[in-house]
Amino acid sequence: MKGALESLGWDPLLVSTPREITNASHLVLPGVGSFRTAMLRLKEAGLVEAIRGYAQTGRPLLGICLGMQILASWGAEGGGEEGLNLISGKVVALQTGPGIRIPHVGWNTVHLQSTHPLFDDTKNEVDYYFVHSFAFEAEKKNQVYSETEYGVRFSSAVGRENVFGVQFHPEKSQKNGLQILDNFCRWDGLC
Amino acid sequence: MLKRRVIPLQLWEKGRLVKTVRFEPGRDVGDPVKSSQVYSDQDADELILLNIGGMKDDLQLFSQTVKKIASCCFVPLSVGGGIRSLQDADILFSSGADKVVVNTATYLEPNIVTEISQKYGTQAIIISIDYRWSVGEPRLFSHGGSKEEDITLKKHLENIAGRGAGEIMLQSMERDGSMEGYDLELLRAVAARVPAPMILAGGAGNFSHLVEALEAGADAVACGSIFNFGDNNPIRAKAYLKNYGIQIKKY
Amino acid sequence: MKRCARCGLPETYETIQFDSYGVCNICRQHEYKKDKIDWSERKGMLDSLVQDYRGKNDYDCLIPFSGGKDSTYTLYYLVKEYKLKPLVVQFNHGFMRPNLLANNERTFKKLGVDVLSFTPNWKVVKRLMLESLIRKGDFCWHCHTGIFSYPMHVAIKYQIPLVFWGEPSSEYTAYYDYRENEIEKVDESRFNRFVNLGITAEDMKGMIQKDFDLDPRDLAPYTYPPIRDLKKLQYQSVCLGSFISWDTKRHFEVISKELGWQGDEVEGMPTGKYSYEKIECYMQGVRDYLKYLKRGYSRVTQMTALDIRNGRMERQEADQLVAQWEGKKPPSLRLFLEYLEMSEEEFNKIVQKLVVPPFKPDFQKIPSAGQTKDFDRWYREMKA
Repeated sequence: MKGALESLGWDPLLVSTPREITNASHLVLPGVGSFRTAMLRLKEAGLVEAIRGYAQTGRPLLGICLGMQILASWGAEGGGEEGLNLISGKVVALQTGPGIRIPHVGWNTVHLQSTHPLFDDTKNEVDYYFVHSFAFEAEKKNQVYSETEYGVRFSSAVGRENVFGVQFHPEKSQKNGLQILDNFCRWDGLC
Repeated sequence: MLKRRVIPLQLWEKGRLVKTVRFEPGRDVGDPVKSSQVYSDQDADELILLNIGGMKDDLQLFSQTVKKIASCCFVPLSVGGGIRSLQDADILFSSGADKVVVNTATYLEPNIVTEISQKYGTQAIIISIDYRWSVGEPRLFSHGGSKEEDITLKKHLENIAGRGAGEIMLQSMERDGSMEGYDLELLRAVAARVPAPMILAGGAGNFSHLVEALEAGADAVACGSIFNFGDNNPIRAKAYLKNYGIQIKKY
Repeated sequence: MKRCARCGLPETYETIQFDSYGVCNICRQHEYKKDKIDWSERKGMLDSLVQDYRGKNDYDCLIPFSGGKDSTYTLYYLVKEYKLKPLVVQFNHGFMRPNLLANNERTFKKLGVDVLSFTPNWKVVKRLMLESLIRKGDFCWHCHTGIFSYPMHVAIKYQIPLVFWGEPSSEYTAYYDYRENEIEKVDESRFNRFVNLGITAEDMKGMIQKDFDLDPRDLAPYTYPPIRDLKKLQYQSVCLGSFISWDTKRHFEVISKELGWQGDEVEGMPTGKYSYEKIECYMQGVRDYLKYLKRGYSRVTQMTALDIRNGRMERQEADQLVAQWEGKKPPSLRLFLEYLEMSEEEFNKIVQKLVVPPFKPDFQKIPSAGQTKDFDRWYREMKA
């Protein structure tokens, strides 16, 4: 992620303290691991309030993959855990089925539901890179910016005001993905 | 819908890339960073980089290579070869790997799979199975194909299942470097048994082999010789696949 | 073998994709080029580009030059249309034909330009030809990489940021697509995508140094310069064909008339029909032969396909020409085998491994192509 942002000419900083978060102009939550572990560690480090506080100031916030999932109200992974509750919805396991193997790994199509500054200058109906076993079920339809099909149609991009989340990895998704990251760095949080 | 993947598989040995034949010492096929850059420019869906020299002495050099690759190639990167502990995996993830490939550890210390999946998520692990057919049975091998493991495939899959395997990569030792086509038999047997995505490795020589494997149920095809010793590249591979009705990434 | 319903290119053609009508992406790219690209807008962009760089450095631009129809037209156009002061840079692949050299002399003297020419170490070239033949069935690695890397080194050395190439790759392949409506960047990414056959100089070093006395500096001309040096130069490396609609037949007429540029007979090509095509290299015949053995088609198919797309030929005539002329063994093969100290059996064995399905070559039944008039003037190695 850092490499991708640097290659676009931006200056990313890896932060881990509440103070650093409050000082950021843009905040990216990348994600690796599980919903439960991530939330527990954020709580331990006192970052949950810092992130919520940051979001309230209207500055741009982007959650990626697990980082998008923890924006939800609740996640089922590991027995159930509260999320940051910045975008109402829950995160539940993807189900196996005929032709559906778990985890969902690889390139899948992102069907845009409505326009958003972060998708400017990207093509619609193109593929991005996914790697996850749980998916976001948004509560409010108008907060779903794109959907992707894998057995079910899940929300691949969600947003509310200055908060945005994508299930796929833009930093691994070639030109369109890098465009999203670039758009985010230029975003003022309004949409 | 989810597309099929074409994944260049690169074997690293003491700073260079090599290509083996039937797991025997191979020929130089290039510089790891430059070659990865080339594949990235050629729209590879992912990259797999395996240290076949064994991690003990080379972990530092290997992880530095991973770092260099991750800093210039924005392609999903899976690395492995000799991972024996969570610490080994930590070093590789912090060097920029997206997934780790584990083989020998699944026989020696299967706990590691659980540890890694708990910390990084099950989707961050590829379990690699090296095998050879013997009297109608697949025999499993560890330590880069040098040690036969005394366990049936069925039992081995059961062992892994509970621990959080993300994807499974099946590698035919006999077909490695042969360029005569993948082994579809074991693929079909395993794919029917496990819910994980299947990556098939060993034997691709031309694009028709890729079509066969993907039609037989592989979710992804790992490729070595076909790109190193053929007038082929991932872009051409995918044009061919598309002409034969295989769904590949659209951008 | 599947073929494009329109132009006849086969499925073994690199990057080809057929749509639901059986028409190939190359044809569709050409349609877009003709109907959708706003060429007057593109010309306007070229005007601005030229204006931005004119007079700012020792040379207004750098023009990599082979002497074939495309680079000759590019040089002619930029000098005539814009009165630019270019530095012409020629990478000598080692196989320049007499007629080509005569053309070049006329071109340079008629236009009045400064020219730099570079010829790499022949011993290194021979070793590179062998390795790239074995790995890719394409022995021209030194030429592909030299042509696209060396001029960039010169651009940096002479501080010339603007580099003009000729035709955009979308004219022939789909590594880049006219339908993206973008200016194709001739950069390292493109170099890796298809120019260098997927092999960089760093890769090649390890591949040949075990049995060849290689000085690492020997591979410098084939190495793409570091991106930071190019960025510092604020380079712009573009194709003239991204700004004007490329039409090789028309260009040939122009350079024949204005520069006395002469076509040539070419091994395995219909006499008198495509005399402007690939006249600059006497290994062209072997190159085409390899393509035929691997993929079941060659230059005749490519040229007739282009004519069909430009509305200059019907499919029936194309098929006839292909049947009559394609798939012949060139006299230059003898020279090639001499350079590489290889027998034809060894050559066939190597190529056999590289055949692209579904094509299957029949090594036994291949007729010979005729010799060109300058055959005896092509370089022969001294017997040891």
